[in-house]
Amino acid sequence: MTFSDTSAMAPFIAAVLVSAAVILVDLVWPGRKTAALTATFAGLAIVAALTVAVGQSGTTAFGGSYRVDALTTFLGLLFVAIAALTAAFAPDYLGERGLPVAEFNAVLVFAMAGAMLIAGAADLIVLFLGLELMVLPGYLLAGYHKTDGFSTEGAIKYFLLGSFSSAIFLFGIAFMFGMTGTTRIDAVAANLSAVVAGTAPFSPGLGLGLAFLMTGVAFKIAAVPFHYWTPDAYQGSPTPVTGYLSVGPKVGAFAVIIRLFAGALLPMAAQWNIAVMVLAALTMTLGNLVALTQDNVKRTLAYSSIAHTGYMLVGFAAFAAGQIQGLEGLLYYGAAYAFMNLGAFAVIGAIQRKTGVTSNLSTFAGLVRREPALAWLMFLFLLSLTGIPPTAGFFGKFYIITAAIQAGHTNAWLNVLAVLAVLNAAAAAFYYLRIVVYMFMRDPDAETSVATHGRLVWTGLAVTTVMTIVLGLFPGVLLDAVATAAKAIG
Amino acid sequence: MTASGLPLITIVTFLPLVGAIAVALTNSGKPDQARYVALGFALVTWAVSLLMLGGFVTAGGTQFRETYQWIPAFGINYSVGADGLSLVLVVLTTTLSWISILASFSPIQNRVKEYMVSFLILEVGMTGVFVAQDLFLFYIFWEVVLVPMYLIIGVWGGRNRIYATIKFVLYTLVGSLLMLVAILATAFIYQSGHNGSWQDAFDLGSLIAWAQQGHFNGSFGILAFGAFALAFAIKVPMFPFHTWLPDAHVEAPTAGSVILAGVLLKLGGYGFIRFALPLFPEAAHWWAPLIIVLSLIGIIYGAIVALVQPDLKKLVAYSSVSHMGFVTLGIFAFQQQALQGAILQMVNHGLITGALFLLVGVIYERTHDRTIAKMGGLGSATPVYAAALGFFVFASVGLPGLSGFVGEFLTLLGTFAAIPAAAVVAAFVMIFAAGYLLWMFQRVAFGELSEFLRGLGDHLTDMKPVEAMTLVPLGALVVVLGLFPGLILGLISGSVNATLAAVGQAAPIALGLWR
Repeated sequence: MTFSDTSAMAPFIAAVLVSAAVILVDLVWPGRKTAALTATFAGLAIVAALTVAVGQSGTTAFGGSYRVDALTTFLGLLFVAIAALTAAFAPDYLGERGLPVAEFNAVLVFAMAGAMLIAGAADLIVLFLGLELMVLPGYLLAGYHKTDGFSTEGAIKYFLLGSFSSAIFLFGIAFMFGMTGTTRIDAVAANLSAVVAGTAPFSPGLGLGLAFLMTGVAFKIAAVPFHYWTPDAYQGSPTPVTGYLSVGPKVGAFAVIIRLFAGALLPMAAQWNIAVMVLAALTMTLGNLVALTQDNVKRTLAYSSIAHTGYMLVGFAAFAAGQIQGLEGLLYYGAAYAFMNLGAFAVIGAIQRKTGVTSNLSTFAGLVRREPALAWLMFLFLLSLTGIPPTAGFFGKFYIITAAIQAGHTNAWLNVLAVLAVLNAAAAAFYYLRIVVYMFMRDPDAETSVATHGRLVWTGLAVTTVMTIVLGLFPGVLLDAVATAAKAIG
Repeated sequence: MTASGLPLITIVTFLPLVGAIAVALTNSGKPDQARYVALGFALVTWAVSLLMLGGFVTAGGTQFRETYQWIPAFGINYSVGADGLSLVLVVLTTTLSWISILASFSPIQNRVKEYMVSFLILEVGMTGVFVAQDLFLFYIFWEVVLVPMYLIIGVWGGRNRIYATIKFVLYTLVGSLLMLVAILATAFIYQSGHNGSWQDAFDLGSLIAWAQQGHFNGSFGILAFGAFALAFAIKVPMFPFHTWLPDAHVEAPTAGSVILAGVLLKLGGYGFIRFALPLFPEAAHWWAPLIIVLSLIGIIYGAIVALVQPDLKKLVAYSSVSHMGFVTLGIFAFQQQALQGAILQMVNHGLITGALFLLVGVIYERTHDRTIAKMGGLGSATPVYAAALGFFVFASVGLPGLSGFVGEFLTLLGTFAAIPAAAVVAAFVMIFAAGYLLWMFQRVAFGELSEFLRGLGDHLTDMKPVEAMTLVPLGALVVVLGLFPGLILGLISGSVNATLAAVGQAAPIALGLWR
């Protein structure tokens, strides 16, 4: 390990250290929430600063198995933002239920470290390590409310299907290694180029490997028909965890897709893009249709997150069909989705602050009278999730659909996907607006007391609100970043 | 910009937004604060729009232009401007907005602050649609309109409000999202025709110039026009996309109905004239026969259904379907008088139907009922009200001398020159219009005071001064525009000629046989 290795990986190392530091701080001052939170936020600030600093150096580490490029930096910063927001939203909810905050933050930062490792992976093994490091803490978090049966049930489902899909994914990597003789991403790509060019033989094993890898990541992003774990895991988890799970591991899994499919497997794009397009169409449509019939808000948003996976896959399909804009759109959408979805879950968490408050639709009845600020913020996030301008969600859809139409020039099916995406957005409006109907147009069944919310929650909500509006009104602030990040791959 | 150097359009568009923020800061416990602040801002906005009217140069094309870079990576600009057509509709919007706000003073007692905020944001969206010169900007404003209207119907509406408001949103959203795809595809074709540069790819002027060279012709144009037309047809609303309208109207609060009929429906007609026709001239001719047939069906169907409506508000709502059919008919005749008539009809319908909804609201506030069968004899009990109702009913029927007549007459005249058969059919329906409106008026105003109304006793008062204040400006405009339609025709002549130059005057292909 040389100095340059260490410096390239400095953000990742810092993240692991922060996680350890949070536990240590809790050991020294047990149960002191403020100390643990201070350590978490200070640590995350350091990680973010290091990510920015290292990002300008543009180096590789450990013999080229880890790479720092614009994409690593972009995703790294996004992961830090997701972790920080989750850490801001969680304490209120956890504290009320007697769940420790410090361990939560430590586990969360660990998961973030895993996601950061994915973002810089230049080797399939590192990619897998990052993936596991990201999802293992996720299982812990899902079952964090250990006295709650639903939390445990959801966590077990999440864990079983998660490890199952990890195994499939690993199997796929093994096939790739067997067929190409390397795990280095650029070397795999070079090998596959030869296969496509006809100078190396195509073997059924390669096809099998592709299929396994595709299935593995489809599980991780919860693409239909590999989504069955999502609703239970999301509904059962403590609400701040649900918010995190619907964003962090999802964007992380898309980072896997980008590094793997847009990196290693790009030469065979023509072969696997059909699968991506089918997955995208199924995922959008089924996610939305099933969401229509839910009457639990967390579950609704779980299915809606499946639908958003579908929209992002449309962007990826456009990229695979040769439009770099598809990747840019995917990254933009990922950022927009992170802020608006975290915001929406933060509102749900705040409403559920008191123990025993369910996330059923009826809880939201008449919210605008009880807590007008939360109701209006939720309205904004839901509009953004629907894709109504001028919000982040709208510009994300705009970007992805533009890319799909551009790619439709060469592959007409992408035009179909673009139309399907907007029809889905219209259908989605129905269930998002249903929540608004309850909040604004119905009277509550019973008087519920008004909860107070900590300063951290309001700060986090302020950040998500500002980002949801700014990314909608002034997308220019992020366009350069996503363009350079996408160029690092394309 | 004008000679005075003030960005008048930006002011007129975003002043209501400032007003919305100001209203949001008022004391929730004192609803009067919200009411007067909202009215104040709406009145100032109206004054600014009149200032624009004063500074408008009739032969000057698109004026008051302001263009700033917004999202350069996609060539998207904040670009606004107004020609005669835009200006007329902006003034209609600002006028109806303050009238609606004033008309909401007494009916809206619940969550006044949020109501006024919604209304002012609605005004931002509506004005924005009429002045946007960039397709992306246009789309943003187009969608912005949706949100406050959703709340206005859903929160302050009648018993079935939730069903009505969700139907309204979903109908509109399906149309507008498909239009978004068409907008993006159009911009993309422009971009790929300019070496992949997004520069001006969303700029309306550049796109129209590009369209004139035939780049949006062929099957692409037909599809894209279809997507645009669907969005606009839903808004107009054209048969068979009209079913959201009666529900929305019946459930919406009075002022919501006024704006809905007065301005929101005009967004559709405006969209056809401003975007669909000049961008896809070839496709417009391809689609014209179908649209004309649907317009005729709408004219007839709306009138027949209105005839049998037991509910006052529903009757006026269906009459809108019929009247707006004249607008699409006039637009797709591709003929000068017809287009002039269509635009006049849009303005007149806004004024007259807006007034009719206000009048329905006046009686509803006293009776909490709108069933025509329960009314009767208002002429003796509330003579002022009955006279006002009579005036606007006659305006709506198309009595010469009042503005409704000019629009329909010009539309029919122009359509007759282009497609005689269509004009003949439409002209016959005007008899129906006289039928359902006069019959309604007769049942409501004449005869003995009905049992139901007598039971109200002292509650059945005649019009209050505030209510009269909302109707007098509309009535005055109806008379003035009826006697001097040239006031508007002069303003819009440039827009009419430009649109016809872009789309071409040829008669529709299939119906051309009927000449």
